[in-house]
Amino acid sequence: MKAFKGLDTLSSIGGLVALLLLGVLPTLFTGTYLVGVLTVAAIYGIWAVSWDFMSGLTGRENFGHSLFIGVGAYAAGFLNVHFGLGPWWSLPASMLVAMVFAVVLGFPTLRLKGPYFALAMLSSAVIMQRLMLIFWEYTGGEEGIHDITPLIVNPLHYYWFVLAVLGCITLLLSWMARSRWGLILRAIRGDEATCLAAGLPITTYKIVSLVISAAFAGLGGALYAHYQLQVSPQLFAVVTSITIITMVYVGGMGTIFGAVGGALLLTVMTEGLRNFGEWRLMVYSLLLIFILFFLPNGIIAPIWQKIRNLGRPS
Amino acid sequence: MEILIYGAVTSAIYAMLAVGFTLIFGVARILNLAHGSFYALGAYLAYVLTTLAGLPLWLAALLSIAIVAIFGVLVEKILIRPLRSSQLGVLMISLATALVVEQALFLIFGSEYRNVPAFIETKYNLFGVDVAGQRLLTLAVATVSIGGLYAFIQFTRLGSAILAISQDPLAAKYMGIPSDRIFSLVMAISAGLAALAGVMAGPFLSVQPSMHLLPIVKAFAIVVVGGLGSIPGSIAAAFMLGYAETIVAYMVSSSWTEIVSVLATLLMLVFRPAGLFGKRAAF
Repeated sequence: MKAFKGLDTLSSIGGLVALLLLGVLPTLFTGTYLVGVLTVAAIYGIWAVSWDFMSGLTGRENFGHSLFIGVGAYAAGFLNVHFGLGPWWSLPASMLVAMVFAVVLGFPTLRLKGPYFALAMLSSAVIMQRLMLIFWEYTGGEEGIHDITPLIVNPLHYYWFVLAVLGCITLLLSWMARSRWGLILRAIRGDEATCLAAGLPITTYKIVSLVISAAFAGLGGALYAHYQLQVSPQLFAVVTSITIITMVYVGGMGTIFGAVGGALLLTVMTEGLRNFGEWRLMVYSLLLIFILFFLPNGIIAPIWQKIRNLGRPS
Repeated sequence: MEILIYGAVTSAIYAMLAVGFTLIFGVARILNLAHGSFYALGAYLAYVLTTLAGLPLWLAALLSIAIVAIFGVLVEKILIRPLRSSQLGVLMISLATALVVEQALFLIFGSEYRNVPAFIETKYNLFGVDVAGQRLLTLAVATVSIGGLYAFIQFTRLGSAILAISQDPLAAKYMGIPSDRIFSLVMAISAGLAALAGVMAGPFLSVQPSMHLLPIVKAFAIVVVGGLGSIPGSIAAAFMLGYAETIVAYMVSSSWTEIVSVLATLLMLVFRPAGLFGKRAAF
């Protein structure tokens, strides 16, 4: 693991073991139920990790991540169902569409300090959801787009594919977060004025991070579309964004791997609350408030720090 | 003529929402994403108190405004104040609060639309246009309440205190103005106005759990166009947006009205981030 400078052995081993465990887990049980849950968990992991890369590192919170997810998923649905393109085209297309949205929204808002970015993202996601309902002739309205063809028919193989994508993205983003690039993003979080004084083009850094984040969110959206085999306006909902933000907060902001952990933990945990389906979002919102107040560093990242420190002479 | 009247009503509702939103920002630097929830709660409380508890409408309206105002103060005191030092913390906590309210409404009332009774059921013919009395009343109530608020801020001692804090919080503190109490007061006014908008607009708009989102989007667009923290700016911008939407609805199609606010926001942020009436550059 020399190639990934700064990614110490313990983290790499931990990540690898986790990946292997997650890969093997569904083969131990019969039935597709667990595979389904874990696939969704892995997709949430992709969304959470992409959110964390932009917002966790720079501290500019994106309240409309669902926008990128939604446009990615709809791009996949459109190409697949209306234009009859093969499902593999969805992956690059969804990333591209999400990136375009990121540039359009990032350019006016990320230049500015203050809450403009967070709010503009929130507004855009809300409006996009409305537009999907209003232009139902094209988007299928409340029903969305149906009959999307699967990428990989065997659910277990698809799960492995999603897991591999999650692993690659996490590796790439944590490497970037530890590189000079990530350092600059963290510096922006700390003090924008100083970064500007040091001659860093901070707006460019922020916009490019948003574009990267959006690309992976869109990819996750396409993966989700090809898993559910349909897309609905619900993907754009603010609760989707909040769910992701809660996952990152649980994992620990700005830690990348923590976001993945938070996503896996929360998805699997709330599966247990399935019978209380209507309460699920309430639980997320309350959990978020609780964490904001009492555990600003999240749950998973501090525990992982403790584990790492055990192996070290202090 | 229809555009003129309906545009005025839409604008009046937007103004009631945006003024409260910008007031609490201008004074306490709180960007309250739970603002739409106050509007939703106002409408739901009016529904509960009249339809389920059988109270007369005027009493129900007053009660629901009072309850929402108290709720707003509690939200600010318990949830927002501890995190006030971080603007992102405020955004997060208020959005989380908004979703808790939405989910609570959903769990209690379900997702179907509810009917809030109107104060006036009759229709009036105004310059050849049929207008529901409720819409006209909304216009009147909005004018009176915003006018009253303006007079309160300009001409009373308490109003001067509010102005002082919004201009320079530190200096105001040195002058002995109890800023925490003023924040509570402003929060009550802001929440009360939103609830009033909910009670008035409830009869002719859709009342359902996720109704709080669009007002936030609209309020944000208005506040960006008018200048964050400027009350005259947000009133002017509310009318601009209200009329722009009505015109688009009549000239093009009502499907496109939703785009107006986001487009206005983005264009404004590109060309003049401080807003039309904003004093500060984008902070």
